[in-house]
Amino acid sequence: MTPPDEAHPNAFAQQARDALQDEVLTGALRRATDLFGERRRAAIATVPDWQELREHARKVKAHTLAQLDHYLERFAANATAAGATVHWARDGDEACAIVTRIAAERSASRLVKSKSMATEEIGLNEALAARAREPVETDLGEWIIQLAGETPSHIIVPAIHKTRQQIGRLFVDKLGIPPTDDPDALAAAARTRLRAHFAAADLGISGVNFGVAETGTILILENEGNARMTTTLPKTHVAVMGIEKVIPRFDDLEVFLRLLPRSGTGQHLTTYQSLLTGTDPGGEGPDELHIVLLDNGRAKIAVDRVMRETLACIRCGACLNACPVYQSVGGHAYGSVYPGPIGAILTPQLQGLEQAAALPFASTLCGACKDVCPVAIDIPSLLLELRRRAVDGTPGQRPVRLRRSERIAFGLWSWFARGPRRFRFAARLARIAQRVPLLSRLLPPLSAWTRTRELPTAEGRAFRDRRRGGNR
Amino acid sequence: MTSARDEILQRLRGGRSTGPCSAPPPLPTPRLRAHLSQPIAREQLVATFRGQLAQVGARAEVVARADLAARVAALLTDAEAHNIACSDAPLVRDALASLPASIETLPPDAARERLLACDTGISSAQWAVAETGTLVLASAHERHRLCSLLPDRYLALVPMSRLVGHLGDVFSRLHEPSASPTSRAITFVTGPSRTADIELQLVVGVHGPKDVAVLLVDDL
Repeated sequence: MTPPDEAHPNAFAQQARDALQDEVLTGALRRATDLFGERRRAAIATVPDWQELREHARKVKAHTLAQLDHYLERFAANATAAGATVHWARDGDEACAIVTRIAAERSASRLVKSKSMATEEIGLNEALAARAREPVETDLGEWIIQLAGETPSHIIVPAIHKTRQQIGRLFVDKLGIPPTDDPDALAAAARTRLRAHFAAADLGISGVNFGVAETGTILILENEGNARMTTTLPKTHVAVMGIEKVIPRFDDLEVFLRLLPRSGTGQHLTTYQSLLTGTDPGGEGPDELHIVLLDNGRAKIAVDRVMRETLACIRCGACLNACPVYQSVGGHAYGSVYPGPIGAILTPQLQGLEQAAALPFASTLCGACKDVCPVAIDIPSLLLELRRRAVDGTPGQRPVRLRRSERIAFGLWSWFARGPRRFRFAARLARIAQRVPLLSRLLPPLSAWTRTRELPTAEGRAFRDRRRGGNR
Repeated sequence: MTSARDEILQRLRGGRSTGPCSAPPPLPTPRLRAHLSQPIAREQLVATFRGQLAQVGARAEVVARADLAARVAALLTDAEAHNIACSDAPLVRDALASLPASIETLPPDAARERLLACDTGISSAQWAVAETGTLVLASAHERHRLCSLLPDRYLALVPMSRLVGHLGDVFSRLHEPSASPTSRAITFVTGPSRTADIELQLVVGVHGPKDVAVLLVDDL
């Protein structure tokens, strides 16, 4: 399959074909997405007012995103008042430079890190590695991926594409453990090794799930306990937080805590939630907390009234598990840190539409993503809007060139669909065409469609004719 | 040159040239609280709490205040505990009164290396939530961030009066303006540390405790 570091969003079609050849990956994906789908359904069945909760969460997010400047300022002021140091980063490079500087100023060379999508988005590990300060990933799945030199294939289960045998061989090679493929033994080996890293670490890096404007609190969810270690043991804690993570009030957390774990893993709650407010002088935690507020393209989305909804995402992964495309091809095919339906709308906006124009087209628009989204993001509509912008172009961005065959097909469609008479004529043509035996299968290049599908048959009479009444 | 802060805020204000906006309109209040606040019978709370803990692979039992020290000593002896990381809660001190001399106890400010080597951690919890089987540890009340995390085994002692029905009951208490200073670190703990990162197979104790037990201390 395509080496992930060479994957690119616009090479989706080829990467998807490669992924479909990988039986380990497709089998594992099917098991994971089925399992999470089932667990999610069971978990939300225990919440009688699930739809109301979603609606509430959507309103809270919409309200916050419409005045993100206000809430960010409040968040920063309250976090600072509690003893945190707040940094602002216009883009990924600036954020990486800030974290690198914090580490350098403290001569911190032993870094540990808990799972964070934002840091993957900005390539923080690579930036720190270039200064000989590469952090050790401590989430088991992320650590496996780091040891293997790969990238995550699933938001919640990053190493889902690897078998226990592959992980066993990796641990034998890299850690020198006795051969085993028993998950308990492998996790025990990881625990021992990562303990040593935690004990020695002088700086811990985490992401943030929610930031509370009212109190300056950051909330981090997890199951393993590595985020608690990362945010408690080292003297310095650096949290990288996308600016869209802010919510107004402490009490709003309750709503999101009901939605996020149930949607992500089907748990009522993840094992651990850490709610950290500034520093705790004389307490058991770190001496310093640095919060890096990351824009990196988010502000532009926040002021785009149509696309703003994208930023309501709470990164549960439910839309990935529900998506028939993702279920088949997995995360690597998207060639971006954010895969699946949410990745297909987020990536083109963060990286620029021309960089990832293929992704909004990598969807059947079935709407499963919208149905399962805990904050009710209308992903299909946003996909369509991005397709429109890709084809029509926007100020500062040239239209994406469609394939010739697509241009002709869509050109014909739009001509026929533009008036009732033309449409009726096209329908009549179709009814005649399907009587020609050869035409029940389409000719190349359209035959790719009929190879695995029946061409829908047109009714003998059009609905509009029947509605007009009278039997022929 | 404008700072990154000003530039990001400016980007967010987009066309708006009027600087910081005024106070936000009030948000709809979550209606959760209204239908959750009906009182629940104690037996029901305990049963729900135990059921939820069982689901995540942990357990809870009720113990009378008078029997606490003996029960804790028995549990630790059975588990062959040797060194115990303790929080500074008075309840924990009382509970360890009948400990055999062979078991060593370490305070929260003991050296990190020694805490990392403990086989058992004991603390109290500020609240327990029946709905989810969750312990709520608030740093303003107790030093229990490390002892609840580092050892393989974790024992939490929770006064029965601190067992509440729902998450919302905790959020309203954590944030009452009249309450003692807001805790700088609040940790929710629901069962043992877990992962499914290898072929989706559940493994407990990958970083935090693999064994979690709760004693609900009947303080009436």
